[in-house]
Amino acid sequence: MTAPSLTTPQLLDSHLAAEVLTLARAGGADFSELFVEDTVNTTLRLHQGEVKDAGGGNLFGAGVRLLYGTRVVYAYTNDVTASGLRELADSVSRAGLGQGRADSGEVGRDGAGGLDFRKVEVKPLYVAREHPLGVQRREKLALMRRAHGAAAGVGDVKTVDVTYLDRVQRVLIANSDGLWAEDERVWSRLVVNAIAQDGTFRENGYYGPGAGQGLEFFETVTPESIGAEAARIANAMLRATYAPAGKLPVVIGNEFGGVIFHEACGHSLETTGVEKNASVFAGQMGQPIAHESVTAIDDGTIGGSWGMVNVDDEGMPSQRTVLIDKGVLKSFIVDKVGALKTGYARTGSGRRQDYTFAPASRMRSTFIDNGEATPDELIRQVTHGIYARTMGGGSVTPGTGDYNFAVNEAYMIRDGEVAEPIKGASLVGNGAQDLKNIVGVANDLSLGQGMCGSISGSIPTDVGQPHILISEITVGGRA
Amino acid sequence: MTRMELGSTEQLSIEAARTYLLERAGERGVALEVFAQRQSSTSVQAFGGEVSQFKLANRQGVGLRALVGGAWGYSFSENLSPAALDRALDSAVENAQLVHPERGAALVAWGEPPALDLYGEGLSGVSVEQKVGVALALESAAKEADPRVTTIPYGGYQDGDIHALIANTEGLERTDAQLYAMQYVYPLVSEDGQTKMSGDWQFTREFTELDPTRTALSAVEKATRLLGARPAPSGTFPAVFSGECLAEVLMLFSPIFSGRMVEEGKSPLAGRLGETIASPLVTLVDDATLPRGLSSRAFDAEGCPSAPLTLVDGGRLSAFMHNQDTAARAGTVSTGHASRHGYQGTVSVGPSNLMLLAGNTPAAGLTGGLTGVRVTGVSGGHAGANPITGDFSLEAEGFWFENGAEQHPLEVFTVAGNFLELLAGIEAVGDEIEWSNYSAGAPAVRVGALGIGGS
Repeated sequence: MTAPSLTTPQLLDSHLAAEVLTLARAGGADFSELFVEDTVNTTLRLHQGEVKDAGGGNLFGAGVRLLYGTRVVYAYTNDVTASGLRELADSVSRAGLGQGRADSGEVGRDGAGGLDFRKVEVKPLYVAREHPLGVQRREKLALMRRAHGAAAGVGDVKTVDVTYLDRVQRVLIANSDGLWAEDERVWSRLVVNAIAQDGTFRENGYYGPGAGQGLEFFETVTPESIGAEAARIANAMLRATYAPAGKLPVVIGNEFGGVIFHEACGHSLETTGVEKNASVFAGQMGQPIAHESVTAIDDGTIGGSWGMVNVDDEGMPSQRTVLIDKGVLKSFIVDKVGALKTGYARTGSGRRQDYTFAPASRMRSTFIDNGEATPDELIRQVTHGIYARTMGGGSVTPGTGDYNFAVNEAYMIRDGEVAEPIKGASLVGNGAQDLKNIVGVANDLSLGQGMCGSISGSIPTDVGQPHILISEITVGGRA
Repeated sequence: MTRMELGSTEQLSIEAARTYLLERAGERGVALEVFAQRQSSTSVQAFGGEVSQFKLANRQGVGLRALVGGAWGYSFSENLSPAALDRALDSAVENAQLVHPERGAALVAWGEPPALDLYGEGLSGVSVEQKVGVALALESAAKEADPRVTTIPYGGYQDGDIHALIANTEGLERTDAQLYAMQYVYPLVSEDGQTKMSGDWQFTREFTELDPTRTALSAVEKATRLLGARPAPSGTFPAVFSGECLAEVLMLFSPIFSGRMVEEGKSPLAGRLGETIASPLVTLVDDATLPRGLSSRAFDAEGCPSAPLTLVDGGRLSAFMHNQDTAARAGTVSTGHASRHGYQGTVSVGPSNLMLLAGNTPAAGLTGGLTGVRVTGVSGGHAGANPITGDFSLEAEGFWFENGAEQHPLEVFTVAGNFLELLAGIEAVGDEIEWSNYSAGAPAVRVGALGIGGS
């Protein structure tokens, strides 16, 4: 396999970029920013071992953002020609928000910009070895077939779907402060959905790890292990009884279990909510907001991780941000506009799905850090409760902190021992309250991968945690 | 991988791209479908009495579907230069060569679709100031409506002007124009240390029909009525679902009526056509031809004409939704339910405007004598509702009733059950359809037993 050249031509001529940035400010904006994107993705799907879908394509466009104080004007187009970009800049400058301050505009409409760009040295945190653009689709299908083989026919598994996804996003970010940053982001992911069936009983098991890496990721997390894990969950749940309903102590598994922190707290720490006073944590900086056993981190600098960010979509290098230190709120997740509105320093967290969105403060790899206990020690503390071993997705209302998430694989805990499997359990609660109910944190931190949807679109994020014990949480079962 | 030199490349219109692609496909003897969209939209968010975000969008692209040796291959491109279109065609053909051939795969030159006006008077006469005015009016009306409104985190105006075309090498050529204008507002309210958020929205095809004051007042009413919530009990109780909430649940489980899910063994309804699967009070229709529906369309993603389809008729499963291919394999004809998520997506099967038909029980009759819950909203459906099993466990919003009288709103709780058991357990159906923003509509219904998870 040949890796493509890393010296691909830059996305846009710097003179044209300067002209567009200057033209866009003609209506009196304080700041202009240009984002240009050329993305190639691949999607392949196997159903019962046969290739059912093969697709993908080329996402290609540019967006211009203007700031008038903290007010945002954003416009985008697919017409990334010189005339298309000039028209974009012109339409955005006339959008109307500069009314009453047009006289403060210091730049003429016909100026060629004269911006002296400073190139941001974007050091890749990880360099893909098996670059997706250098690997034939047939080789990608071979990986999928290995995953299928490890799930099909295992126990009662009757139906197997395997989806492969990769995305290579090349971006340019330039702004009227003279910033110039270029980056290439690579993601690869394999998702297996196995359905076990016995008579009328039917359950599905889902597992879908991914990375900010090329296909070498599947050397460490093998397709076989992904297929086997999906099959294991489907079989484990097939004859499960329905979960009980009510408030119970819950031990939540590591890896994707971290979705609880993501929903219950992470979204409420983004300045997008904090700046509108629409977060339960607004105004609580420096205050204890969680049990002292909880230290939580949002880290964009884990090389090769799914949530890795070399440079954010506002051109700022990523960083590791301690959100909660031993229960005390230490930082929000802050983008440029959030910093202007709240006064907190930017954290390299301005992210967006693609050029069709203005950036917003978003999570990267967000996790609860290791504690001292072992998972067994946590389980032994529970006399009657639930072990939520693997999770589905969730959601939250940031204004209230009310959240929910679905449990894919769960067991009763009786007298400190993991007992029979149960199904159909969702967990609901309130982030501000439940953070204080995390009473035990184990030492087996790992990360799980998901797509996080919010105001600036759907982006790859890691969630993560070691096993944790929550003293009580509302379990939504049927029994 | 060759890269474009951006900033200087010629870009075709979607109409010219269609012509170019069909000509190239013709020269190569490739059977090809082109799906293209051009959309312009404006969105305005207001916060604190001024515009906080203003967005202008212009987006276009083409989706290709090539049929080679009985197999479909896809690709898409937003780069509409001739060179990029050539690459997209190559890629669609290459992809088709990887895919397993399917019996029934075919391109069809469908007949004429029904005449639907989904465009109205257009937006060209509407100024930016008028659009900004809607967003600001929504926020101020919501703020002034009640002293318990603390902030309005989400509120704004959005419109879209969408032109789409579908063409294929069999000679099909269809164009479509749709327009919408909508507004939404979600106030945060608080009282006695309790914080709640809810909201309302309005979707129209005519800008002049938007009524910001009415939507704002309704949003504030929906949010404030949740104040004073108390913990929900846990157990199994009789329940009334509001129409809007039931409509959301219907849309979450719509995949069980998909011919594609049936043929892949993922629908619990597989093999049950003609059987009674729900209460005799249940008639479920999918109708893409409603003039005011959120997902109305004169033809589907393959160009097949739209027509209403009855899925459940008096409790009996009477049809599945099909696209051309799934219908051919099931020995029937397309119901006009080919769906795709724009030009980036692949063709699958999906509903348009799904609705449970109204019954004859007035609202008061549904809650009469009720000791249980009235459920007015659910969230978390993307993970907590499983169309493969029909099971659901969802975060819910609602009210506690004693002997037919509303007592108080409930703190965050869960509802859990199985969709098919829920449909079978419907004891009474309300006489008025409410629409959710999931493009589904339903009347309120009463069920005998629902699993509730609370304190």
